[in-house]
Amino acid sequence: MTDQIDNLEALMKQSLAGDQRAYAALLHEISRLLRPFLAKRLSFTNEVDDLLQEILISIHKARHTYDGNRPCKPWVYAIAKFRLQDHLRAHYSDQLHHADDLSEMEEYLQQDVTEITLSYESISGEVEKLPEKQAIILRLMHQEGYTAKEVAEKIGMKESAVKVAAHRAYKVLRQKLGR
Amino acid sequence: MDNINELIDKLAQDTVPVRPAHHPFMLSIEWMVVAGFYLAAAMMLSGARHDLLLKLHDPWFSGEIAALVGVFISTALSAALLSYPDLHQKRRIAFAPVAAFAIFVLVMLFAWRADNPPAPLPVHSFECTLSITLLSVLPAGWIFFVMRQFASTHSHWAGGIAFLFAFSIGALWLRLYEQNDSIMHVVEWHYLPMIIFGLIGMWLGKTVLKW
Repeated sequence: MTDQIDNLEALMKQSLAGDQRAYAALLHEISRLLRPFLAKRLSFTNEVDDLLQEILISIHKARHTYDGNRPCKPWVYAIAKFRLQDHLRAHYSDQLHHADDLSEMEEYLQQDVTEITLSYESISGEVEKLPEKQAIILRLMHQEGYTAKEVAEKIGMKESAVKVAAHRAYKVLRQKLGR
Repeated sequence: MDNINELIDKLAQDTVPVRPAHHPFMLSIEWMVVAGFYLAAAMMLSGARHDLLLKLHDPWFSGEIAALVGVFISTALSAALLSYPDLHQKRRIAFAPVAAFAIFVLVMLFAWRADNPPAPLPVHSFECTLSITLLSVLPAGWIFFVMRQFASTHSHWAGGIAFLFAFSIGALWLRLYEQNDSIMHVVEWHYLPMIIFGLIGMWLGKTVLKW
């Protein structure tokens, strides 16, 4: 254990001096150290990989704040925790946003989402001005007659996400058309 | 896993010799020296209150100045530590402003009790807050600029403390310049706005010191 810690500090000192091989070895050592730390806190392997990459980039950016005269591990973990918190914050705020949309849609989901009182053709100009994904969803649902489930399968989204996107698009259209 | 290896290779290829940042104690001393020159320049331009030497013999006035200097030193030290991701592994010292502010509040309480009969309130009010703010804007901007070159993992605290450091320069200047003995006025228009200033710093720190 002590050897590993000494090793990290020695590698870091060499890296700061511009030794590329030492730096690669240091980053490999750090990812080996952080992978289980992240895996314990995140559910998906791809999330672990993405975050690990972010952490390595952050370590690269902040390496001048390490002087080689204090333990390296707490410095590495401070950056890793900081990025993990950032990631979790973004993840949960995204989920919360999604949950808000779903609760807003609670009544709406009971209805047929393909039902719209105006013809698609009469508002197609406005639909094209919507964000690309929303426009595609509305086009598929109202021009080509697909159900939300079929659209979801077609464009590789979840059905609930398609309904949420359609709902948002309707909201924008309603505001634009003054209804 | 392949992506990680690719990234490591790329980062290793990009690496060049890097000069480690200064020790936070050295950094805070640098900041205090620059701030000291700025304060001296401001004092030279505005002039000191004409009874300053006499007032320095008043224990509560000199106590207040000393406590304010304590806030100035502790916030500089804490802001420097907060610029490092791991607080340079000196977490306890980063809390120094808490003690400095506690002492400052105590001194102000005693000074307020000793202000009997109370000194007359000056005719002006918010102008003092405005003057302190105007004088503090430049050091606040400068310290944020310097801190952005580091990697704070506590950006909101770093921002708040950095703003308090800048504000303490303005507060020191006004206390040494303004001919005013009313503790009520000083608390209300010099020091209480410090809280708002600190909150603004926290809010700004979260955005500006993000990396």
